[in-house]
Amino acid sequence: MSAVIQVENLQKWFGTRKILDGINFEVREGETLVIMGGSGCGKSTLLRTLVGLLQADEGKVLIFGEDMAHASEDKKNEIRKKFGMLFQGAALFNSLTVGENVALPLKEHTSLDEEIIRIIVKVKLELVGLTGFESLKPYQISGGMKKRVALARAIALDPKIVFYDEPGAGLDPITARVIDHLLMDLTKKLRMTSVVVTHEMNSAFRIADRMIMLHQGKVVGSGSPQEIKESKDPYVQQFVRGEINGPISFKETKEHYLKSIFGGDVGL
Amino acid sequence: MKIQVKNQSEGFVYVTLEGELDFDSSPAIRQEFTKFTEKNPTKVLINLKKVTYIDSSGLATFIELFQKMKRSQGKLVLFNLSEGVRSVFEIAKLDSIFHLAKSEEEALALTQ
Amino acid sequence: MIARLSHFLVTVGRNTQLLLIEVGRLSNLARHFLYWTFAAPLAGKQGLRRHSFVQQLIFMGNESVFIVFLVTASVGAVLALQAAYQLRQFGAVLYTGALVSVSMTRELGPIVTSIVIAGRVGASITAEIGTMKVQEEVDALTTMGIPPVPFLVVPRILAIAIMLPCLTALGDLIGIFGGYLIGISGLGLDSNLYLRQTFEALIPKDILTGIAKSFVFAILIGLISTYKGLSVEGGAEGVGRATTESVVLSIIAIIVSDCICTGVFYYIFP
Repeated sequence: MSAVIQVENLQKWFGTRKILDGINFEVREGETLVIMGGSGCGKSTLLRTLVGLLQADEGKVLIFGEDMAHASEDKKNEIRKKFGMLFQGAALFNSLTVGENVALPLKEHTSLDEEIIRIIVKVKLELVGLTGFESLKPYQISGGMKKRVALARAIALDPKIVFYDEPGAGLDPITARVIDHLLMDLTKKLRMTSVVVTHEMNSAFRIADRMIMLHQGKVVGSGSPQEIKESKDPYVQQFVRGEINGPISFKETKEHYLKSIFGGDVGL
Repeated sequence: MKIQVKNQSEGFVYVTLEGELDFDSSPAIRQEFTKFTEKNPTKVLINLKKVTYIDSSGLATFIELFQKMKRSQGKLVLFNLSEGVRSVFEIAKLDSIFHLAKSEEEALALTQ
Repeated sequence: MIARLSHFLVTVGRNTQLLLIEVGRLSNLARHFLYWTFAAPLAGKQGLRRHSFVQQLIFMGNESVFIVFLVTASVGAVLALQAAYQLRQFGAVLYTGALVSVSMTRELGPIVTSIVIAGRVGASITAEIGTMKVQEEVDALTTMGIPPVPFLVVPRILAIAIMLPCLTALGDLIGIFGGYLIGISGLGLDSNLYLRQTFEALIPKDILTGIAKSFVFAILIGLISTYKGLSVEGGAEGVGRATTESVVLSIIAIIVSDCICTGVFYYIFP
């Protein structure tokens, strides 16, 4: 299987803080890759850099062999037509109906007739199980349905890759599962490649063909779900089991605390 | 994408498609379809043997043709679909609605 | 004392720096706006979304036409009363109509209408785009390969640029009418005489410079309100803050640029 996305030595700073610290990985055609990690590990920044919402400071993001990180804005928009993205909050356009939301990429990027677009919208909505919802506005449907509409919109142009930002966020466990199933189902049926960013372990193990784990802007573990489960790496273990004590600390050290109160010159 | 339209006999259209039916090529194919549907044919056969790929717009173009044929009470049969092309119809759950034949003979039999 | 002074200077310096950064970003948006309005369509790219432009025009007209009428009519009436108060001392109440029509078309019509539009339309543009930004809708556009400037900014700025001069022309007329009502009812002036005074004093230049000004104000309101919308950060609170800033900044820009425009017109077309 060939790689559709290759990330090489990706680095990103926010001011003086290094958020992504030399990330390397690849995504193979047809697989579902889950990127996981705790809050603030850099996974959202990684995703936003992959799709070109943030500019990488160093390194390459090759999508179908074309470097997203160093492309002109026009070139980026060309590459963007080949993938879809599902946002955490669905990000549907509230002024448009469900049908118009799904139709938008088709209207913008193709010269298809209105009638053909109308048919495509119907087919896509059926794929996500929402036949007959075309004329509703986003505020009239539930959170889970919004995500499904957003998914229909993401696959409107038959992309080969779909990025998912926390697909289960803000949903009840059952609805989150429905979205997971839909994701797996569509990835297989439509022969797409999926890249999923999440911190939900259950969901991650359910959908992943392969996973990578981030901590402080670095890849600390990668492999199949089985390999991740059995990993000896202390970071990975702590995260998989959801333990409080371990190498990932949630508190600053005592030294830090005293330093912040008394300044740097306290003799400790 | 290439298209060849032959009027076999009165009301019988035989179409051969070749190549990829995608977002770029489907508007032109749709126009060709419109040309012969205006004459309200009773039978339309489409040979998809050399079609390597169809996307959503291709599928939608066939759906529209199907609707028009149905309205004028004509018959539309697609045949020689590759596995990939067939799966596009299956995913959209339309493989049982369309007449999809395996061979030309079967297609001809279906139009009788 | 010195410490206080230096603190003051640092604050002034920092604010100036922030202002310059803001102006820089605003002119960057202006550059994108010009590119997508004029250059991109020539390069074969989709610039203006016509449907969205028409929608915005209708929305803006509906939102503001009534308030513009109310405000300009009041301003015209007030103007007539104030003018009469001064002119009475010279026994020249007769010229009230002339004064109202000239100041309405040259100055007050454009500026009052623009301020109403900044408050009504500019604020709603900032709030709308800001909400879209906060809910990742702008990001969604970007990842779909649809640049937000031609999709969101261009139709809105162009709609204001068309709508505001039209509303100004209407506002001028309503303002003059407001003055006329006061003139014939409150000041006891003859209706025919008042109207003759009104239109004899007016020359096309008065109306045209006023409309030209309103066009400049429109572009400023459009740029500021879309810019403030696109730069919203920090949730619903951020949207509220940006909306206020957008209106305040627009009104300042209108008044300052009015000063510049009037100066330019005064010396170039005396």
